Amino acid sequence: MSFWHNPSSAAKPYVDPTPLPDDIPKVQELGVTSGPLKSAAFFIGAYCKDYNDDFMLCKAENRDPAHCLKEGRRVTRCAQDLITKMRENCLAEFDKHWNCLEWNNQEYGACRKPERALNKCMFEKLGLVKTIPGTPEGQTPIHEVKNPILNGVQK
Amino acid sequence: MSAPYRQDMPPAGGFPQIKYKRNLPFRGPSGIVILGGVTAVCAYGFYRVGLGNLEKRELQREKAWSRIHLVPLLLAEGDRDAYRRQQAALAREKEIMKDVKGWEAGKSVYHDPRYRPADSIVVL
Repeated sequence: MSFWHNPSSAAKPYVDPTPLPDDIPKVQELGVTSGPLKSAAFFIGAYCKDYNDDFMLCKAENRDPAHCLKEGRRVTRCAQDLITKMRENCLAEFDKHWNCLEWNNQEYGACRKPERALNKCMFEKLGLVKTIPGTPEGQTPIHEVKNPILNGVQK
Repeated sequence: MSAPYRQDMPPAGGFPQIKYKRNLPFRGPSGIVILGGVTAVCAYGFYRVGLGNLEKRELQREKAWSRIHLVPLLLAEGDRDAYRRQQAALAREKEIMKDVKGWEAGKSVYHDPRYRPADSIVVL
């Protein structure tokens, strides 16, 4: 027997084992934790820009989850594709960078060394460049500054 | 027997001069130099703080954009889950209310086609 609960004060977690309806094509969820996602974020932004923009425009049309399922699947497939490519081409650099992020509160500023190795590898193998939109004109982007002032806790 | 009379006199050549003059030898840099030095150190420090603040702003922009790039991905995954739960809830409602005539499962209480997320959920 089921009855209504306020989800925020429910004693049990909100689990519903019913699978997606069969008429929705299946897509494998990414299953990547926050560290690797943060490490790959700018490459996802560069590689999947078209799909991401399409999805967000669709969401701007209508917030209903049913409205943008197709675009959402494309976004997930694209990210899946990128993560696979990253793992195939730059596995060592990728692992090093996201492990560094995990150990440093996921702050990019503390992990520039492994990040540079990853960026270099990603550019050479996949041609993807990390760009931060909105960096002031004529200024070195923060991830390419050689001698930053804020360089983490002294060790 | 009494001692012969003798007048007490200053030592031969007179008393030595009493040192009454200030004796403060000049040591170390002058006050102006110290003041100037402290001002210079502070000025350099504040200059570095300013540079650091600019840098912090850029780091924040980097963090914001890393999250912005991940929004579509996470939203898509969340949407699929929300849709799955919605459909399950709809099927449940249909099953429960199948004997009630004129009941439309999943019908909004508002006369407005705009999407509203469910304000309560079923915890199984």
